[in-house]
Amino acid sequence: MSKGYETDGDAIVINRNLTMLDRFVKTFVDILQKHTDYLIVSGFVSIATGRTRGTEDVDVLVMALEKDTFSCLFTDLEKHGFWCYQGNTAGEVYPYVEHLQNVRFAKTGEMFPNVELIPITKDRKAKFFEFTHPQKMRVQDFTFKIPPIEFEILYKELVLGGKKDIEDARHLRVFFSDMLSDEKFKEYEPIIMSERV
Amino acid sequence: MKPVNDLDYVEMYAEALKNDNRLFAQQKELIDSQMQASSSLFRNMFGEDFATEARMYLRKRGVLKPLGAE
Repeated sequence: MSKGYETDGDAIVINRNLTMLDRFVKTFVDILQKHTDYLIVSGFVSIATGRTRGTEDVDVLVMALEKDTFSCLFTDLEKHGFWCYQGNTAGEVYPYVEHLQNVRFAKTGEMFPNVELIPITKDRKAKFFEFTHPQKMRVQDFTFKIPPIEFEILYKELVLGGKKDIEDARHLRVFFSDMLSDEKFKEYEPIIMSERV
Repeated sequence: MKPVNDLDYVEMYAEALKNDNRLFAQQKELIDSQMQASSSLFRNMFGEDFATEARMYLRKRGVLKPLGAE
């Protein structure tokens, strides 16, 4: 028996085996990070740390992409067996990214889970803040970037606020109770509140 | 603590998981079986042109929104 998590330098290590969901996300992120930086937010963060609930989509923030970068990413994803909900070609899908609309990718022949790519700009202050202050998390050989845990908790409590979000936040508060920082909660709250205005 | 509502259960489970990683095995079983069930359901639901049929289904569910709708 081991603890549920430990820290290793700047990474939080979750002591568990990979699930099929992890393998799906890892495959996607391995491709994505060849083309652009990213941050995994919301439900997957809670599930990765032990919340026992299902999810259909994995939310991933990216900075709004230039057309050429998106085209290369799209081609690479297609080559590795992903399809896009919004269209069959990069040209068809890019206008969504350009308009800062989310686009979704799943494995070919599958509907769920999917990765929901959320393009952001510096104007989204809270999202830009979490994007630029990532926390590393590791499960076996899968290392990925998430928001600071305190930020994720407050975002779920103050901005999202649904039953599922409040339960996710409570899970994170209890599971990580040994490492949460009151100072960080105080620092992040006004940044997150700006997202509500 | 005697659990009364859903949040109490979430709290109890998180507390137990924090100290005993063996509980992750249950979570893995649940997630893996959900993914297998979902995969099987949609493969059977749609025919050869999976993407076209899937998009029609997603539009009906309101998941797939037209350009400019968000």
